[in-house]
Amino acid sequence: MYSKGWRSVLGILLCLFSFAASAQKVTIKGQISEAANGVTIPGVNISIKGTSIGTTSDLDGNYSIEAQKGQTLVFSFVGFKNIEIQVNESRTLNVKMAEESSVLNEIVVVGYGSSTKKEITGAAAKVDGAELKKLNISRVDAALQGQVSGVTINTNSGSPGGSSSIRIRGLSTFGDNDPLILVDGIVYDTEGLNALNPNDIESVNVLKDGTAGIYGVRAANGVIIIETKKGSLNAKPQIEFSGFYGMQSTARQLNLLNATEYAVVKNNAFFNGGQAQPFANTSVGEGTDWQDAVFQTAPIESYNISINGGNAKTRYSVGGSYYNQDGIVGGAKSNFRRYNARFNVSFDIDERFKVNSVLLYTNEGRSTLAENGIGSVLYNTINAYPTEPLRQDNGEYSYLELVNDIINPLAQMENTYNRSNVNKFVGKIEPVFKINEDFTLTNRFNYNIALVDGKTFSPLTWYGPGKAQNTAVNADLDAPQVEIADSVFLDRGASVYENRDTYVDLTYEGFLNYNHTFNKIHKVKGTIGVSVFNRSGNGLNATAFNIPNNSIDFADISANQADGGFLNNAGSFEFEERLLSTFLRAEYSLRNRYMFSAIVRRDGSSKFGANNRWGIFPAVSGAWVFSDEVFWEGLNLDWVDFGKLRVSYGISGNDQIPNFAYLPLLNGEGVYVLNDFISNGVAIGRGANPDLKWETTQQFNIGIDFNFLKDFNFTFNYFVKNTNDLLFQPDVSAILGTYGPGGFPPYVNAGDVSNRGMEFEIGYHSNPLNDWVFNANANITTLTNEVVRVPDGVDFIPGAGFGVGGVVATRFQVGQPIGYYIGYETDGIFQSQAEIDNAPVSQAGAQPGDLRFVDQNGDGVINFSDDTDKVKLGSPIPDVTIGFNFNVSYKGFDLSGNIYASLGQEIIRNYERQQPYANQLNYVINRWTGQGSTDIYPRVTTGATRNNVFSDFYVEDGSFLRLRNIQLGYTFPKKWLKTAKVESLRVYISANNLYTLTNYLGYDPDIGNFGGVLAAGVDYGFYPQAQTIMGGFNIKF
Amino acid sequence: MKAHKFTILIAAFLISFSSCEKYLEVDPAFSLGADNYFNSEQDYELALIGAYDLLQGSYLTQWIGEIASDNSIAGGESVTDTEGLHQIDNMTHDGVNNELRSILRFNYAGVTRCNYIMENKDKTDFDGKEIILGETRFLRAYYYFELVRYFGGVPLVIDRSIGSEEVTTIGRASKAEIYAQIESDLEYAVANLNWSQPVKGRATKGAALALLGKVYLFQNKFADAATVLDRVINEGNYSLMPNYEDLWLAANENNSETVFDVEYSALEGGSYDCLICLEGNAAAGFNGIRQYEGPFYADGNSYILPTSKLYNSFSVNDLRRDLSILHIDSFISIQADPGSISYATGGGGHTGYYNNKYIKRQAELGLPDDDLTSPLNYKVIRYADVLLMAAEAHNRNGNDGQALTYVNLVRARANMSDLSATGTLLTEQIWAERNLELAGEGHRFFDLVRTGKAADEIDGFQTGKHELFPLPQVEIDLSGGSWTQNPGY
Repeated sequence: MYSKGWRSVLGILLCLFSFAASAQKVTIKGQISEAANGVTIPGVNISIKGTSIGTTSDLDGNYSIEAQKGQTLVFSFVGFKNIEIQVNESRTLNVKMAEESSVLNEIVVVGYGSSTKKEITGAAAKVDGAELKKLNISRVDAALQGQVSGVTINTNSGSPGGSSSIRIRGLSTFGDNDPLILVDGIVYDTEGLNALNPNDIESVNVLKDGTAGIYGVRAANGVIIIETKKGSLNAKPQIEFSGFYGMQSTARQLNLLNATEYAVVKNNAFFNGGQAQPFANTSVGEGTDWQDAVFQTAPIESYNISINGGNAKTRYSVGGSYYNQDGIVGGAKSNFRRYNARFNVSFDIDERFKVNSVLLYTNEGRSTLAENGIGSVLYNTINAYPTEPLRQDNGEYSYLELVNDIINPLAQMENTYNRSNVNKFVGKIEPVFKINEDFTLTNRFNYNIALVDGKTFSPLTWYGPGKAQNTAVNADLDAPQVEIADSVFLDRGASVYENRDTYVDLTYEGFLNYNHTFNKIHKVKGTIGVSVFNRSGNGLNATAFNIPNNSIDFADISANQADGGFLNNAGSFEFEERLLSTFLRAEYSLRNRYMFSAIVRRDGSSKFGANNRWGIFPAVSGAWVFSDEVFWEGLNLDWVDFGKLRVSYGISGNDQIPNFAYLPLLNGEGVYVLNDFISNGVAIGRGANPDLKWETTQQFNIGIDFNFLKDFNFTFNYFVKNTNDLLFQPDVSAILGTYGPGGFPPYVNAGDVSNRGMEFEIGYHSNPLNDWVFNANANITTLTNEVVRVPDGVDFIPGAGFGVGGVVATRFQVGQPIGYYIGYETDGIFQSQAEIDNAPVSQAGAQPGDLRFVDQNGDGVINFSDDTDKVKLGSPIPDVTIGFNFNVSYKGFDLSGNIYASLGQEIIRNYERQQPYANQLNYVINRWTGQGSTDIYPRVTTGATRNNVFSDFYVEDGSFLRLRNIQLGYTFPKKWLKTAKVESLRVYISANNLYTLTNYLGYDPDIGNFGGVLAAGVDYGFYPQAQTIMGGFNIKF
Repeated sequence: MKAHKFTILIAAFLISFSSCEKYLEVDPAFSLGADNYFNSEQDYELALIGAYDLLQGSYLTQWIGEIASDNSIAGGESVTDTEGLHQIDNMTHDGVNNELRSILRFNYAGVTRCNYIMENKDKTDFDGKEIILGETRFLRAYYYFELVRYFGGVPLVIDRSIGSEEVTTIGRASKAEIYAQIESDLEYAVANLNWSQPVKGRATKGAALALLGKVYLFQNKFADAATVLDRVINEGNYSLMPNYEDLWLAANENNSETVFDVEYSALEGGSYDCLICLEGNAAAGFNGIRQYEGPFYADGNSYILPTSKLYNSFSVNDLRRDLSILHIDSFISIQADPGSISYATGGGGHTGYYNNKYIKRQAELGLPDDDLTSPLNYKVIRYADVLLMAAEAHNRNGNDGQALTYVNLVRARANMSDLSATGTLLTEQIWAERNLELAGEGHRFFDLVRTGKAADEIDGFQTGKHELFPLPQVEIDLSGGSWTQNPGY
């Protein structure tokens, strides 16, 4: 912040002319500080309006100037708004200066260069690091939710360290929809974002439209550019220490049946199924509350220290942090812990030559439980029945013997040992050579090295008779026997799996920037560069059996006691992928009023065969600042301070598919049993497609920006984003023979998807000099997603299934959003046999109390064997998402909040196991019990029924509004802190996910796509985001 | 001026740089390319193991052959649990059916792996290659025979691989063309395979002859069938196991009665998401008694439950009745402590009976999860089947004496008196005997169709339609409409 012009300001001499004036001259003194944080500002220009008299503030921000009453003092500093104050009686004028950042001169990073809000021609958005930091969220992607229009972020898992799905302007492809994420120019994948501490972030810039094409073959899903904090020249070292501690709990428990309700409902179900009623006595009390047992309160804590500063030639920002979060399910078994150390430094070697360097070291540890699927801890929790105690009389965990495949979730958590540890080194060395006033040459050497260690211990376990998850053969935990040769049997005891993987990304980027203004009105900028990217990885993994004592204490491969090592096995992998690119950008601006920019990038990717390796990605954009036009003056729209129209069109690509999809490889599974032993042969794996090429996205954007009434800003964008030649693996004909074990259909370029939508942003920033300060911004995104084309010969691509062994419930189909839901529409409940007999539509197997389905094709029959009566039941894609942020401060107090709403999407309730004894949501209390009892909830039965085919009965409105964060802080007055040599001190209390407004019955309506694009919106017992209450502090020295 | 030169230098650098095509040539590390394989005998051996792998998809035939017939209902957790099976059970199956699609996919994957070897059969020479090719052609015949039994004439791809653009140009071949190819493959296998193999599980001359006899029988070529089946009986070293009971235990597999088994193993786990990837027999694992707790048997998913009609078709003296079909309540009632034994019924249906041949037994549990690790082999052809096929062939061919000799061998083991009928009455009796002997083994539906009895025995069976299963509609679409659907669908 000081850096903006700090050097130039320093050069200005003090002018201490004093005229022997006749008027009363007074000496005015004061201190100048930043309005936002109270930090004093050295080097501020103070001048008397209309004269050449002036001075600058000293290193502590103090100044002194002589002036006459009635004269006006002008305080100016680059990057801050000018302030004018008339001299009156007061001899002391302490001035708070506000950053100009929210307005037009704000720097926007656009890739291989930067621009300003005023000049930018593309649709880009910027979020200040401070905004994200305030939320106290471990991952930057989660923190970004609701901050930027057009960027939809959903949580894939609420578990500590769980990732989010980031969608910039919708779902544009079948495969990888993640945007390109660059941190200080270094590529991160979304998983890798765990390494980044939101406290270290200076800003996040999002390139949403075709101008992202400067990043070519990887830019189709948009680009997120994150800059970490850097130091400033000639700044005193500033030490900042901050931290918070909080407790997390689940925001919600499902309304499940208690034991008495359960007994009544199950008796009814068995009776309806023609079976004996299992509960002679239904007065069995409340029973076991499995959710109470599984959910817990869990701590979350984070501490950060950073030192920023610089001298005349060096800028530095160093820091370290510790973050630790246990899970609300599983506690320490579901943990994320991060240490990080950061060392950013820039040297001005001479006036023309500068070296920037970034180094980030992270150590992340993460423990995980089985999540969001059949067999996950919460799935088991929901389906465990309340008449079973947590433990048997002998103290062992109970077996839940009446249900198939559902195991005691407490036993499951206890027996899960699954931890990974990542050491990550990310950094760059960036020599920047200023050739002359016009040309700057930047060479950037990036590295991103991840060393991943994982360990999973599988003890011998016994969850009860017949449970699929058992690894022992009985309750005594005897090991199964394996025959390794004729009549030679070995015990297969507890096992440990370990992996050690190394991933290395190396990038060289060299680019030359040109910047010149001709005749003061023709501003020309140009960029030409190359980028060379190499990603490689290798790994070694092994499983070892017969870990001593069945104990985690011995869970290491070295401790294995497998006889002769016979059962142990090992694996390894190695891969490399490369990108080679050149790019060119030309920008022209006339009078800062008409801007034009053109980009072209040529990319070569090793993902494709020699015939399709190279792609060219162009983009053009333009902007017109109409508020600077003469005619605008004549319109008497004085309240509009600034207005700009933007248009862009560009093409970008996506190459995110596995390596060597263009080659046929013998990596299938060809395994058969010969001589009673498993024999490995070879088989072709994925079908090859030698003609594979990248998918392309064409995007058109038109937008308008307004600043008005000084404190308001408004942005609108309309975009059309068409993605063609989608890269994916649609079903292919069986006769191609790719559906054997380990076989997959080939990747092909087939299918088109269209996204269109509107984005609105409105912001208000009150004058930060007032006692009362109020800032607020809101953003609204609408999105229409539609599949335009599917591969030839295919009506749709099937997605996720419903229930156990059930039919496909989601699809990728022309005219529908990606992953829309299809099934039977219901129309109430059959109330009587007479109603069924007289119904115009025959529904096989229907009985009174069953759901009545709608005959979509009008053939008089509900067809359960084909799709003719199925109809769209919803979509996981919201119609509108809204983000709202505000903060209010009065003197030392500040209150801020962040609200996110997602409207119009549906969720499939898929966590109810349709088993006779599985527990159920308490809506079954209102089940059909006789004519006229209900027209909504079908009867319960253990017999054959069509009530559990996928229908709208299992689709719920997933809309929600959530208060993601609310925070109340107090900043202590300076004078109290002076003696302690403390620059500033703020304390706060904060709450995340305090309140969610939704009709959804499940744990958390904010669900992403845990199992791929077509599994979006399918809830298997989602690990919910925690509700967290925190207290924290921030202290600066 | 200096800067100008510098710019030119940079520009030249950039342009030369981007032409560096070689940089993007990355070879897959330590991976075998499919295009430069078959350089040694070992390569052929390994590819052949890959071709055998798809036999393990036969668990579907054990299921569908029973539930499509009058022998069994689908069962399971609910009527939407593996819904395709329930539709077949009810004869309401149509163009959307995951299980039928799997039949098509698995068997064509098998055909493709055989064709991969055949396409490259001349690349490298070594002694004994004709045995590898004989096994390859046996397997291809097996896969095409499955396809033709389920779907009739299917697209015929032989000795080559096809690209995706070619799919729409390959229409369905006729049934006769498929059978001609199967016969030709099996004739090669018969000529080149030996009566025994050094490795248990591999196809032999006897397996090829028996399968060829069955293929003839399905085409009503009774004389040819009698000839080749007689060779199995006379030249092969096969005999009936003395005790019918012994046939079904994993411990007794690959015995004197085994002509050809699909081999399964208990030694590798897997996932419910990919049953074809398993090395265990999903059919036996899934057929187990739901949530059973008690002696001898182990719990399963209550799939493929025999009907009382089947149970009652046995004479009470027939040793095979209770060895083929488990009446669960009777079994429990004669145990030491019946009160301690429990089981559950699934929402997919309950008949009181379980398949006692392919069922999960405590002594045969594979590794946990044992639903997926049953070591029970699927008996494709056993000697009793050969005798009954031969009996039928001789009977239809006018040689009732020979037919009676064969069928009575099978009956004698079951403690049943000799048959003495002749002509069509004997034909009927042999057919009935087939189901008594082979019940629960996946033969019934195909035998009923073959003998024209399906409409009489199967509820909802429509003549002219249900003899064949429908081709999955999506596969017809993927063929660009070049396949026609089977009649009635």
